[in-house]
Amino acid sequence: MRRSHEPISWSLFGAGGMLLAFIGPGLIVSTLLLAWLVQDPQALHATLSSGLQHPLARLAALAVIALPLYHTAHRLYHGLHDLHITGPTWLLGGFFYGGATALSALCALWLFSL
Amino acid sequence: MRKPWQPQQPRDWWLHNPAYRRYMLREATALPLMLYTLLLLAGIFQFSRGEVAFAAWLSWMQTPAALLLQGIALAAALLHAVTWVALVPKILVIDSDRLRIDPRQVLRAHQLGALAGNLGLVVATLWLLWPAGGA
Repeated sequence: MRRSHEPISWSLFGAGGMLLAFIGPGLIVSTLLLAWLVQDPQALHATLSSGLQHPLARLAALAVIALPLYHTAHRLYHGLHDLHITGPTWLLGGFFYGGATALSALCALWLFSL
Repeated sequence: MRKPWQPQQPRDWWLHNPAYRRYMLREATALPLMLYTLLLLAGIFQFSRGEVAFAAWLSWMQTPAALLLQGIALAAALLHAVTWVALVPKILVIDSDRLRIDPRQVLRAHQLGALAGNLGLVVATLWLLWPAGGA
């Protein structure tokens, strides 16, 4: 039998869902507050830069982008099926899971070249 | 000739039942949340390009279109958090001979965790923004 990708995609979906439930609303409120109340964007850039010096902080930032990407890609992929929008599996799966993977790789590149 | 049974499901199957509509709304939270994540990713890119690009991203996040998307994303994130935490005790069933945990306690722990995580993040952001904090 061909091996299924479901265990991997569901684990990433589950991790992303848990992350979004635990910090999603707070994260959105935080970025709204940051953009609205920031007095000195340069100082904020410096503060965040020094925070992101630690590799674990970069890893955390990557998780905050990558896991929600996989979570939402998984839901939208299966949502298309619910809406009776069909297509070749390699195309739809490649678009959603491949897109999430490519964007996560870009995010890792940007974060770890800081 | 073989005539296999073809299950017929109308395309609007979910529209006529409140439970299915709630299910579709829950699944639909993924779209604004994905768009918001892309905004954040753009922010990381601009951050990596330097202070000027980062400041431009911060002020762009205050444009009406970006605020509208963030408002919808916030509503979606709240609905996601509530429905997700409610489902956890049904998926995370800890019921073996060695360890048994009441599903109500699993639910309570995740509710407290979600509350602490979200509120903690907002408090940390306000602390970062406090004038004495520098930013």
